[in-house]
Amino acid sequence: MTEQHPSLMTIALTWFGLLGLTLLTSLLGLVNLGAMNPTVAVIIAAVQASLIALFLMHALKGPALIRVIAAGGVLWFLIMMVLTLTDFITRGWLLPFGK
Amino acid sequence: MADTSHLELREQFSTPEQQRESAISGMWIFIVTELMLFGGLFVAFTVYRLRYPAAFTRGSSEMEYWMGALNTGILISSSLTMSLAEYFVAQNKSMRGAILLLVTILLGAAFLGIKFTEYYLHFHDHKMPAFGFEETGPFAPQVQLFFVFYYVMTGLHSLHLLIGIGLVFFMFVPTALRSLNAEYHTPLDNTSLYWHFIDVIWVFLFAIFYIPGAHIR
Amino acid sequence: MATHMLPETAARNYLNEEDGIFSWLLTTDHKRIALLYTFSITLLFFLGGAFAVLMRLNLLSPHGAIVGLETYNKLFTMHGVIMVWFFLIPSIPNTIGNFVLPMAVGAKDLAFPKLNLLSWYLFMLGAFVAIYSIFRGGVDTGWTFYTPLSTTYAMGYVVSAAMGVFISGFSSILTGLNFMVTIHRMRAPGMTWFRMPIFCWSMYATSVIFVLATPILAITLILICIERVFRVGVFDPALGGDPLLFQHMFWFYSHPAVYIMVLPAMAVVSEIIPTFSRKPIFGYKAVAFSSLGIAFLGFLVWGHHMFVAGISVYSALAFSFLSYAVAVPSAIKVFNWTATMYHGSVSLETPMLYAIGFIGLFTIGGMTGLMLAALGIDVHVTDTYFVVAHFHYIMVGGAVMGFLGGIHFWWPKISGKMYPEFLAKLSALIIFFGFNLTFFPQFILGYMGMNRRYGSYAPEFQNLNVLSTAGASILGVGYILPLCYLIWSWKYGPVAPPNPWRATGLEWKTNSPPPKHNFDETPLVTWKAYEFEAQKEELNLG
Repeated sequence: MTEQHPSLMTIALTWFGLLGLTLLTSLLGLVNLGAMNPTVAVIIAAVQASLIALFLMHALKGPALIRVIAAGGVLWFLIMMVLTLTDFITRGWLLPFGK
Repeated sequence: MADTSHLELREQFSTPEQQRESAISGMWIFIVTELMLFGGLFVAFTVYRLRYPAAFTRGSSEMEYWMGALNTGILISSSLTMSLAEYFVAQNKSMRGAILLLVTILLGAAFLGIKFTEYYLHFHDHKMPAFGFEETGPFAPQVQLFFVFYYVMTGLHSLHLLIGIGLVFFMFVPTALRSLNAEYHTPLDNTSLYWHFIDVIWVFLFAIFYIPGAHIR
Repeated sequence: MATHMLPETAARNYLNEEDGIFSWLLTTDHKRIALLYTFSITLLFFLGGAFAVLMRLNLLSPHGAIVGLETYNKLFTMHGVIMVWFFLIPSIPNTIGNFVLPMAVGAKDLAFPKLNLLSWYLFMLGAFVAIYSIFRGGVDTGWTFYTPLSTTYAMGYVVSAAMGVFISGFSSILTGLNFMVTIHRMRAPGMTWFRMPIFCWSMYATSVIFVLATPILAITLILICIERVFRVGVFDPALGGDPLLFQHMFWFYSHPAVYIMVLPAMAVVSEIIPTFSRKPIFGYKAVAFSSLGIAFLGFLVWGHHMFVAGISVYSALAFSFLSYAVAVPSAIKVFNWTATMYHGSVSLETPMLYAIGFIGLFTIGGMTGLMLAALGIDVHVTDTYFVVAHFHYIMVGGAVMGFLGGIHFWWPKISGKMYPEFLAKLSALIIFFGFNLTFFPQFILGYMGMNRRYGSYAPEFQNLNVLSTAGASILGVGYILPLCYLIWSWKYGPVAPPNPWRATGLEWKTNSPPPKHNFDETPLVTWKAYEFEAQKEELNLG
């Protein structure tokens, strides 16, 4: 077959990376970072998701179409998130960019 | 080029490459639809999280933190075994792949076992909405809102995981029989994509439900 | 007339290749599946139309002529649910799209023929579940299922109606997925993206919307069913929930959904206009990219359904601006179709009548849409008949005319027969006249203040309502005529040649009706779309 598969080393390293990030986020969760706790957690999750998508789901080495599809999906999710939040965040505002 | 005369080339395709690429692209598009499905719930959750930060943090503090962390490790490891299965089948070592698929199923089942234990513990503590939910203190209704999201989102995830286990089992049989092998393993590759995606969803669920309140447990 | 097809090959085609009910119910041939869908959506169209007839009859009198207010609520709800999800959304994509798309790109079938069949079964299952709710007594929430009415207070069969729609959503997703992979991976050798007919670009854009928007509908419907069944949910204000969140999620799907309904009609018009003007489409790339632009921008405007619902002023401003922006690619298409006809050799066969009708009526619908995008006007006319008229101009004046135009255009290919031209032209004119008489008065009614979704109204609105109902009767006759003569022509119509319109798409280079595998040999494409001049000899032969 002509398609490429990640090597055993890539798979193993990705796994270690994912477990390491899990440990990191679990430990950071026990520290009071105030309002940053959820943000940091989501960022670490996003890094984990990227590792899974790029290396285990072959997005990095696969055909370009796959990257377009995956990026499109993420973009659309972000469009939904951002544009919905613009309503909820600006609900109480009397002046632009302020309360 | 390996002998592919026994390969099931469907009539609408001209070459095995076209068939394989079509199948993989189709699976990725399906995964994007699942991303949007869960995405709607993530957007809704975020709206309320921004509105009721104290209540949602309090709800999060009532999660079984180490069970969640353990489950995250389990699911990540199941992604390892799934990727290894894919690797070995592509190397024509289908028996090794089949065993790894079995391990994947066991890990997935372990995840569900822990998850349902969590559900039961919450039910026992009166934290299951519509089934005797009780909460005191300020913003109690919003804490219940948190739990509604918890059950809906992790429940939908568990349902997908259950379907995933079914799919992996469907792949186990032909892999063990070696009809999925180095020449043809597209269904296994697609099942693997689905499985990894379930893992992707989970890491975000862990981040939004378990972490925010962990430091005040 | 001259044909270079052997009589023997012309006799064997996808219709007579296999016999028996199971060769239809278990087919994976995209052409047969297109016919299965055509059968289903035609039935559902007339069911949705029956509700409309009852509504218009009721509105003859200010006090409601034939039904009570609660029943009226159920009528407009079921009319909306059936027409949106069980007619408009599947209509062109699953009938004409299924039939033509694989042939237009030179493929033997779609990428996933079994998924195609599955999508029809899911559609039918969804329709049965939704219709079940009608027979059990109906739903009265409006097709928009707003909370808290749908989750808490409505007395009807909300869960089954919602689940019927939910199931049919999977049919949409599978169709979109199938079309996208087919266009990406199954184009014939030589058919580059920019050699594809515009039909394919517009169907691709539609498929992107199918795939990205429908899952949001799915999750939203699940959430309202959970809230209704378990009596606790995320839209419940008692828990701190926000009913507006439902509206955001619902319209995130439902606005792009209207582009699912209109882009395929534009796809059809983009084939008809060049053919009956004997000219390539003006500004091919502009039209192609406008299809994608409509799909993209269409996802950014949903808040314009919520201007008076309580969203923030700043959010409303953003959505208003973006709603103006989405009109631009649509306008580009209208200009380009018109420019295609300019200095073309225009002939007014039935498909062209529908296409020209589409351009005019879609423009009126689109312009009134711009009026609605203006916050000041919207505050005045929202929830009035002005909005009802606007979207019917697009959905009926646009999408349905596009559908009928496409059915007539590809009828010879699909059935191997010609429809009766005089009767078809007459029907088109009756439909055009009936449609305008039905819906134009509604603009005026809305502007004067008549509320939508009301089973009774102030007496000063009666005259225009009577006019509208008169128009609806004429429109109904106009729809029944094609149903009759098309069915008649299937058996008794004159035999059609492979390319009666001398059109340039790949589907016209094979027999009418086509063989099961579409092409006897895989085409090798070395030409651009719409090359009427360059292919003149070949086209005049067939």
